[in-house]
Amino acid sequence: MLVRHRWRRVVAPAAAGLVLLVGWEVGVRLSDLPAFVLPPPSQVARTAVEVAPLLGTDVATTLTEAGLGLVVGAVVGLLLAVLIAAFPWVSDTLYPLVTLTQTVPTVVLAPLLILWAGFGLLPKIVLVALTAFFPVLVAAVTAMATVDAEHSEMVAGLGGTRRHQFWLVQLPASVPGALGGLRVAATYAIGAAVVAEYLAGQSGLGVFVQRSRKGYEVDQILVAVALVAVLTGLLFLLVDGLARLATPWQRPSLPSRPGRTPL
Amino acid sequence: MTTSPSTEAPTAAAPALEVAGLTVTFPGTGRRAVGAVVALQEVDLEVAVGEFVAVVGPSGCGKSTLLRVLAGLTPPGATVTGRSTGTACGRSAAWMPQRDGLLPWRRALPNALVGARIAGMDRAVADARARALFDEFGLAGFERAWPHELSGGMRQRLALLRTCLPGRPILLLDEPFGALDAITRRRMNAWLAGLDLAGRGRAVVLVTHDVDEALLLADRVVVLSDRPGRVVLDLRVPRDGTAGARRALLEALDPAGEAR
Ligand SMILES: Nc1ncnc2c1ncn2[C@@H]1O[C@H](COP(=O)(O)OP(=O)(O)OP(=O)(O)O)[C@@H](O)[C@H]1O
Ligand SMILES: [Mg+2]
Repeated sequence: MLVRHRWRRVVAPAAAGLVLLVGWEVGVRLSDLPAFVLPPPSQVARTAVEVAPLLGTDVATTLTEAGLGLVVGAVVGLLLAVLIAAFPWVSDTLYPLVTLTQTVPTVVLAPLLILWAGFGLLPKIVLVALTAFFPVLVAAVTAMATVDAEHSEMVAGLGGTRRHQFWLVQLPASVPGALGGLRVAATYAIGAAVVAEYLAGQSGLGVFVQRSRKGYEVDQILVAVALVAVLTGLLFLLVDGLARLATPWQRPSLPSRPGRTPL
Repeated sequence: MTTSPSTEAPTAAAPALEVAGLTVTFPGTGRRAVGAVVALQEVDLEVAVGEFVAVVGPSGCGKSTLLRVLAGLTPPGATVTGRSTGTACGRSAAWMPQRDGLLPWRRALPNALVGARIAGMDRAVADARARALFDEFGLAGFERAWPHELSGGMRQRLALLRTCLPGRPILLLDEPFGALDAITRRRMNAWLAGLDLAGRGRAVVLVTHDVDEALLLADRVVVLSDRPGRVVLDLRVPRDGTAGARRALLEALDPAGEAR
């Protein structure tokens, strides 16, 4: 059983990826595509090794923007969720407006932010925060609105007031939901930072991509794309790990993965 | 030790709790409210200060509903009519739900301290008392366990501990020993019987399925009929020999005598 699962979960996708890479390599070589359209993966790999030492500052910049933006977004989202849960009038007036603002994709706002906040880190952090706060907010608000009646009744039956309900039940009950929202936000963060860097900036992976585009260095762009994917994965794992640490009461759920249902 | 002076020596006539003509109806589900349930009908109950009252009755007859109303918790959506004066709303009562109501994000000891925190007890005092009660309730060593790591009976004992810790004058206990084995149950019964109710101006209402437990602990036993719940017997437990009371209770619980 276990061997079979490992085979399906690790070996099979790895093999499929390898087949794709080989197909790409062979296809590019046979068709004589010029490297400025699509370089073969072997060349991308070689370029990756070449440019790796130069990418340090760019990666650091992008990670700083994404990390700080994520933190700011999560804090703002959670605070707003708390206000919405604590004061019905905030919920009635603000929540619909906040939801409405989400009809504007945040990247559309990037030029405005750059106009207002300059070319430095600030506009990128703001953009990432804007992208991140909404999933956190929605998840936390939902969790606070749907607390288990068993728990709120228990607190009321011991003479608890609304203040006790909030501190003892609503706020802690919202934590797993908010962390779930943060996990979603973590997958957007680096992408949002890179897009903001496309428009303006002195360093960052987005800047690197723009520079490479101007020089028709497709291989470098592909290296950056792969790097964004890896960094996003790492950031997600980090947030996931922190979320687990922050909610030690949660039972390890049964391992259930799509495609593994025995039926 | 934490009961405020104001709860001492209340006038003997004033009941700790009283409901009269209490009727609770749950509207049915669906648009045409099919299957509305009358949980309680015209229930009168008076609990004097210092009194221990047990409520027995068949499953689904409205015992938990009665206790909720006494605790000042109207089940959402239910229609409640009748008079309830001196109902234990607010700060004088502690209610223990039938399901334990433990907070999954607090370890056992912090869960036990929830009631004390609501009552505004001094932290150090509450902590010391909780630790002593952990010993007495057979929960020693599980202070740092998460609720999901405890057995059903342990969760019940922890919930009882949480309810009793703040020393509220009125205790409303909904089947606190339902999941316990006979021996642990006897120990917990002894602990509950040892609470000095009259001396501290306190009162207890205990819901139970166990007639013997009711006779052992209570000054009075109230029997509710099958749904809709009505008081069919309100029996003062005699100090000398409970055999007659026991027979009367069983008869009230099972009037057709099918089980005998
Ligand atoms: N929230 C609710 N919504 C609708 N019906 C309810 C609700 N709570 C209780 N009832 C109904 O009221 C009746 C009495 O319920 P209650 O929980 O008071 O019974 P009980 O005497 O405590 O039973 P048990 O001994 O099994 O705990 C039941 O028929 C139940 O279906
Ligand atoms: Mg019940």
